[in-house]
Formats: sequence, structure tokens, C-alpha cells
Amino acid sequence: MKHVGRRAVWSLPEVTAAISRRFGDIPPVWVEAEVQNLRPAGGQVYFTLAGGDAMDASMNRIVYDRLEAKPGEGTLVQAYGRVEFWRQRSQVRMRVERLELAGEGLLRAQVEALRRLLTSEGLLAPARKRPLPVLPARIGLVTSGQGAAREDFLRALWSRFPAADVLLVDVPVQGEAAPAAVVRAVRHLDLHPEIEVIVVARGGGSLEDLMAFNSEAVCLAIAAARTPVVSAVGHERDVTLCDEVADVRVSTPTAAAAAVVPDAAALDRHLAQAGDRLSRQLAQARRVASERLAARAGALGQALRSRGVRAADRVDATHRRLAPALARLARGAPPRVEALGTALARAARARSVDAGRRLERADSLLALLSPDRTVARGYAIVRDAGSDRVIGAAASARPGQKLSIQMRDDRLPVEVRR
Amino acid sequence: MSGGGEEVRPTFEGALAALDEVVRRLESGDVGLEEAVALFEEGQRHLAVCRERLAAAERRIEELTADELPRDPGAPPEAQPPF
Repeated sequence: MKHVGRRAVWSLPEVTAAISRRFGDIPPVWVEAEVQNLRPAGGQVYFTLAGGDAMDASMNRIVYDRLEAKPGEGTLVQAYGRVEFWRQRSQVRMRVERLELAGEGLLRAQVEALRRLLTSEGLLAPARKRPLPVLPARIGLVTSGQGAAREDFLRALWSRFPAADVLLVDVPVQGEAAPAAVVRAVRHLDLHPEIEVIVVARGGGSLEDLMAFNSEAVCLAIAAARTPVVSAVGHERDVTLCDEVADVRVSTPTAAAAAVVPDAAALDRHLAQAGDRLSRQLAQARRVASERLAARAGALGQALRSRGVRAADRVDATHRRLAPALARLARGAPPRVEALGTALARAARARSVDAGRRLERADSLLALLSPDRTVARGYAIVRDAGSDRVIGAAASARPGQKLSIQMRDDRLPVEVRR
Repeated sequence: MSGGGEEVRPTFEGALAALDEVVRRLESGDVGLEEAVALFEEGQRHLAVCRERLAAAERRIEELTADELPRDPGAPPEAQPPF
């Protein structure tokens, strides 16, 4: 400092040194703010901490590079360090020593760390995924008793397969109590002998809301379950670890219903068609066999006849040529020809009888399936009187339509009145 | 082939798969009458199993809350699974 007249004049370093000393009195602090304008330069990484106001910050590059979870542009962090005054440029800057993700970034980092753990244990491997039963005896459902997920799932389930049997465990699906409750529900259902598939369902939500389904306890319980698990947690875009560890992942409770039960109507159709195809093929096999039998019977007769004729011709010829010398021998030949013919005929008959029996068996099986049998048991068949087409549903009969009801003894003409 | 070998309480999917297989074999066209009859009867058995399972299904719902669950009966403490 110098005096010029009555004025005290300070050099700039004297001023900045004084300010710098003041900053030295401020203890290191934790600050929560967003990271912006992140840029490495030399041995440092520079960025701005922003949140209401803004402050420049820097961190040692080696320390920064070792961070387990690095912030991106706009990431919420908690930074620990000392606020310093940089005398050369009179800038205020936070020298950050520790940097941790906060808020959603922190949750994401936790999810990533657990995903790495589950992956290293092989619990996310596709080979672990088990197929679901086609028709589960009973379905275990883990969801909130009040949630829309419950309604959506049950509505879709029963419309697809009306006879589905459900054991629902009502659990909190977010908040502190959620993970433990979900774990207990999964374990309980897994030990239940009738439960053949477990569905874990929850609607969409923020990452924080979904964290129960990213918890280690829930993931391990699902991985350890012997019963296949379907996960329908969150929406399409939010994939939870629960989804990844489950045997089947679907994006909505409605899709979960489609995954766990067959379409009852389609299944009925399939079975009816299979039955029809069995009968048709049996009838076809019967037809082919009877045609073959007829053909064979004809061929056999022909063969038999020609053989007999040839033998007789030969005898005749021999007889003529060697008439005098073999007259006596030739007299014995016709009975031998006859004996040969009888044996052939017997064999052919035995084969025909055998094939005939098989035909009869097929016929009796086919008869069991015929509509006449059904009618004989006291049922009736309704047909359109004109086309004779079978009317299977009341809805397909028009008012005034003339019908014919086939009963045990006769057909009864009737008219639709509505 | 996947025959009617499953004597003890065949599963629904087992019966369904076996039924489809029988239909496929019958429709392959190279079966004689004797085999056709045998396959037909086998198919009818599988069909009966499927129908019986479907008929046994019943619409039901039972609801428990997490608090009502029985405590794990002597289950080992929490973190027993793989690691």
C-alpha cells in the first residue's frame, strides 16, 4: 500500500490476497447441484455447478476418472470441496474432492450396479428363462389391491379364459415396505402347490416409484422361485431389473394375462378341429383299406384262376405228348392241382377276414362319432329346414325361419318366433 | 414319436402336444388301417385329457394382503439365495 496525497492506494495482489484469506475461513461443504458444461483440460476437469445460481468448479482428472458413476450433462450431483478464490483471475471456484450422483442419477447408478451383480451371477442369462405352462392350475398375482394393474390384468384374464383361478396377494408396490412385502408374496406363492405361474404387476411410474422392483431382495426372490414368473412392471420404456430377472417380461398387465392363459375360444376350436381331423383320417384310412382289399381280392381270384388254368393246360399238354407212357401218372395230377387251389383260396380268405375285422373296428369307432348316436342318446339336432344346415347357436336363427329338429324317432318341423 | 407313454397324470400341454402329433402322423398319409385305428384311439385319449382339464378349471379369486401371509415357516434368513 502507498499513499498518494491523502489517498491510500493498494496493489492488486494485496487486494486479492486479502480476499483469498477470507475464503480460507470457509470450511469445505457438500453442495447439491446440476453439472453443466463439463470439459477436461490438462490435469483438471472443469464444469459448472448450477441450481438457482451457478459456480465454476474443477476436479482433479485422475480422481474424476476413477469415479464409479460419472455425471453427464445436467446430472444432479452432490459435490464436496472447498470454495476457493483464484487470485490470478479473481475467480471463485469450487475445488471438488468428492463427487456423487444424486436424485435419479443416483438411482440409475444403483440399478446399473445391481444389474452388473445379477449379470455376473448369471441370473439374467436367457438360458435360465423357463417356459410358462399352457394351462396353469392356479395363477399367483402379486400387485396392489387398489391399482389399475389389478383391474386390467383380471379383466383381460377372464375375458380370454373365463375359468382362470387366481390367488392375489395385495402388496404395497412403492415405498419402503414394498420390497419386503413383494419378496414375501413371491415366496408364499412359490411354495403354494397349486400355483403354476406367478405374475408380478405394477403400472408405470417414476424411477423412484419403481425402485422396489429394482431392489436386490425382489430380484433374488424372483430368481430363486421354482415357479415361472411373469413381470409386468412399468411401461414399455421403463425396464426394471425385476423384468429382466423374470422368466417372461411383458409391458402391460393386459399382456401378462395373454401370456399366462390360453385363449379359451381358440383352444376349443383347436380341440374340435383335432377331433374332426382324427375322425376324417380314420374314415380315409378305412376307405383306402377297403379299396385295396377289393382290388386284392380281385387280383387273387384272377391269379388263382389263371394258375389253375395254366396247370390244367400243362397237364393236358403233357397228357397229349406223353399220353401213352404217362397215362397213369397224369391221372394223379388233377387232384394235386385241386389241392394247390384250395390252399391258395384258404390263405386269401384268411387275409380278407383279417382285413374285414379291421374295417369293422374302424366302422364301429366312426359310428360312435356319428350324429345318429348323439340323437339316440336323447339329444336333438336343429337344422335349417331348407338347406339342412346345422344351427349351432340361437343367435344364428332368424325370426320366421323354418327349422327341423331331428329327434330319436323322427324330424319335427318348427318355426322361429321371437 | 411322443406316444401315450405318460401314464401318471399327463400334463395339459403334454396331452395337447401328443394330440397334435397324432393328428400330424395320421395326416401324413402313410399309415395303414391298423395303425390308423390305434392312432385314432390314442388321439381320442389325449383329447379326453385336454377336455377333462379344461372342464375342471373354475373361475375363482382369493385375495390376501401381505400382512396376512404366514411368516416363512422356518425359512432361512433373508439373503440365502445364490450369493
